[in-house]
Amino acid sequence: MSAPLAKVADAERVLDVANLRAYYQTWHFGVSRDVRAVDGVTLHVDRNEIYGLAGESSCGKSTLIRTIVRAIRPPLAVVEGSVRFDFGGRACDIYALDRARLAGIRWRHLSYILQGSMNVLNPVRRVRESFVDFAFRHIGKPMPQFLALVEDHLARLRLDPAVLGSFPHELSGGMRQRVTIALASVCRPDFIVADEPTTALDVVVQKDVLALLREVQRQIRSSMILVTHDIGVHANATDRLGVMYAGRLIEEGRTGEVIREPRHPYTAQLVTSLPRIGDIEPKQGLDGAPPSLAAPPPGCRFHPRCPLAMEMCRREHPPMVEVAAGHRVACWVKAPPGGMAAP
Amino acid sequence: MQAYAIYALKRLAQFVLVVFIGINLAYLISHATPIDPVEQTVSAATSFGNASPEAILMMRASLRELYGLEGGAVSQYAAFWRRVLVGDFGPSLSAFPTPVSTLIGRALPWTVGLLSVSTCLAFALGNLLGGLAGYFRESRILKLAGIAAMAVHPIPYYIVAFVLLIVFGYLWPVLPISGGYRINTPWGWNAEFVLSVVTHAILPVASLVLVGVGGWFMGMRSLVSNIVSEDYVVYAELAGVSRGRILGAYVMRNALAPQVTGLAMSLGSIFNGAIITEQVFGYPGIGTLLIQAVHAGDYSLVIGIASVSIVAVSVAVLIIDLLYPLLDPRVKVA
Repeated sequence: MSAPLAKVADAERVLDVANLRAYYQTWHFGVSRDVRAVDGVTLHVDRNEIYGLAGESSCGKSTLIRTIVRAIRPPLAVVEGSVRFDFGGRACDIYALDRARLAGIRWRHLSYILQGSMNVLNPVRRVRESFVDFAFRHIGKPMPQFLALVEDHLARLRLDPAVLGSFPHELSGGMRQRVTIALASVCRPDFIVADEPTTALDVVVQKDVLALLREVQRQIRSSMILVTHDIGVHANATDRLGVMYAGRLIEEGRTGEVIREPRHPYTAQLVTSLPRIGDIEPKQGLDGAPPSLAAPPPGCRFHPRCPLAMEMCRREHPPMVEVAAGHRVACWVKAPPGGMAAP
Repeated sequence: MQAYAIYALKRLAQFVLVVFIGINLAYLISHATPIDPVEQTVSAATSFGNASPEAILMMRASLRELYGLEGGAVSQYAAFWRRVLVGDFGPSLSAFPTPVSTLIGRALPWTVGLLSVSTCLAFALGNLLGGLAGYFRESRILKLAGIAAMAVHPIPYYIVAFVLLIVFGYLWPVLPISGGYRINTPWGWNAEFVLSVVTHAILPVASLVLVGVGGWFMGMRSLVSNIVSEDYVVYAELAGVSRGRILGAYVMRNALAPQVTGLAMSLGSIFNGAIITEQVFGYPGIGTLLIQAVHAGDYSLVIGIASVSIVAVSVAVLIIDLLYPLLDPRVKVA
C-alpha cells in the first residue's frame, strides 16, 4: 500500500487546484444572489496524465475548468482558493499573472479544446489563418517554416494538409473537431483542457476523435483534463477520474477503480446507469433533480436523493477521505473520516 | 472560382432584368399620365397670338417626332428602347434644344459625388465607432458617442439640415449655405475651384453623415455585442490572440457582412434623400433637376432622370453583391 502512495506523491504535478470556489454573483433590484457553481474543489493533475471530470449537466464541471484556465467573465468570479500551474519548473498562480504573461502562456503551455467545437473556428477565415493567429507568435520562425511545421504536425496526426486551405464550413463536424485538436496541440503545450470534445459527434466519429486525442497526448506527452458526462468515454480515455456533484468533487481515483468499485452512492448510480451488453432489466433512474446551486441543501448536497442518507448527512458536509491509494471519497456513510469504510 | 463565375453571371442577369423592368415602369407611368406634352407645348406656343392652323399642324407633327410619339404604341415603344440603348432621351422641353442626356450629364457628377462621399463616410464612421462601442463596452467616451448617435438618429433629416444652416451660415457664418461652388470661379482642376467645391459640400455632407451614422452605429454595436460571445471569439481570446486582431479579423469582420447587405438595401432610397438635400442646400445635382423637370412638365427629362437613377442604384447594388462572397465565404455555396 505504501509503495503506490509514494509514487503518487513523487509524481510531478502540473496543475494544483486548492479549495477553489467560483460563484456567479449577480445583483438585481437590491437582491444579491450567489450561484455556487464551484464550491471548494481540490484536485491535482500529474505530468503526462489524462484526468477525467464527470458529472451530470449543470454540476459545475464546465465552470470548474473555465476557472482553472482563467476564462471567466463577470458575473463569474473566484471567491477563494488558488490555481497553480507548473510548466517545467516555472510554477505560477494563474490568477497572479498580468495580461502579457498570461497571453504568453496561452497556447504555448496551456491550450483548449472547447465544448461545441463546431463554431470555434472563425467562419470567414481559412484554417491556415487560424493556425497563424493562434500559434505563429509562439513558434518564432519565419512564415514559410511555420507553415511547413503546421503541415508536418497535421501529417503526424494523419490529417490531410489540404484542410489548411479550407474554410470551416467546408469541413464536416468530425473533421472540424480533428482540426481543432491539431490546432490545440501544434505548439506542443504542457497542458490541454478538453471540454466535451466528443459530445456533438456521432459514435463512430467519437471513437476516432478519442483515438486522436490519446495519440496527441502520447506524442507530445502533455497533461490533459478531459471533461465529459459520458462515463464510457472516461473508461476509454482517462487515467484518473473525478466525479462532480452540485459544484463539489465527491469522488476521485484511478478511472478503472472508480468505475469498478464506486464508493459514493452517486458514483455508483452513475456507473450502473451504463448499459452493458446482455442487460435485460430496465434501468432504474435516480429520483429527484440536482439541487439549485443558488440555495444548495445543507450538509451533503446529495442527501435529498441519497438512498443511504443518515442524520449526519443532513447537517454537515463530508470531507474528502482517502479510502485507498489515491482514491478519495466524500461520504459520511461510505468513507467516515478516521474510520474504516463501511462495507 | 467556377462557383463564383456562376454566381456573378446570375447576379448580372438579375441586374439586367431589374433595370429593364424599372425603365419600363418609368416609361409606362409617364406615358399613362393624362398630360400630353405636345399639346401643352402647342397651347403654350399659341397662347400669345394667332397662329395659322397649318403652322400648328406642322408644329404638332414635328413635336410628335421629337418626343417619339409617332406611330402606334408598339413602334413608339420600340423607338424608345432604340434611343435609350444609345443613351438618347430626346431633347428637354424646359431647356429646349438641349438634349436630356446633356442636362443629366451636367448634374450627375454633383449628386454622385455628394452621395458617395457622405454614404461612405457615414458607413465607415458608424461601423467603426459601433464596432468599438460593442467591443469595449466599458469605455465612457464610446458610451457617450452611442448616446449622441441615438439622439440625432430620430430627428427628421430636414431639421438637422436647417439647424446646420442656421448655425454655420447665420450664427457663425463660416461656410457657404447654397450652391455647389462659388459663382464666377473658373472651372477646372485649380486649387481655387476645388476648394470652393469642397467648402460648399461640407454642410450637405455633414447633414447626411450626421443623420446616417446613427443607424450604422447602432446596428454594428448590437451585431458586435452578439458576436463577442460567439465560440470563435471566446476561443481566440482563450488562445491569447491580440485584442486588435480579435476586434478586426474576428468580431468586425463577421459583423461586416450583414452591414454590407444593409448598405445595398439603403442605396435604393438614396436618391430620395438627394432630392431634399439638394433642395435645402441649393445643390446643382440630379434632385434639383428632377424637381425642375416635374414642375415644368418636362416629360423626357423625368424619364431620363428616372432611368439614370435606376441604373445607378442597380450598379451600386451589383458591385456590393459581387463583393459579398469575398466578405462571407459561405455565400459562394448558396
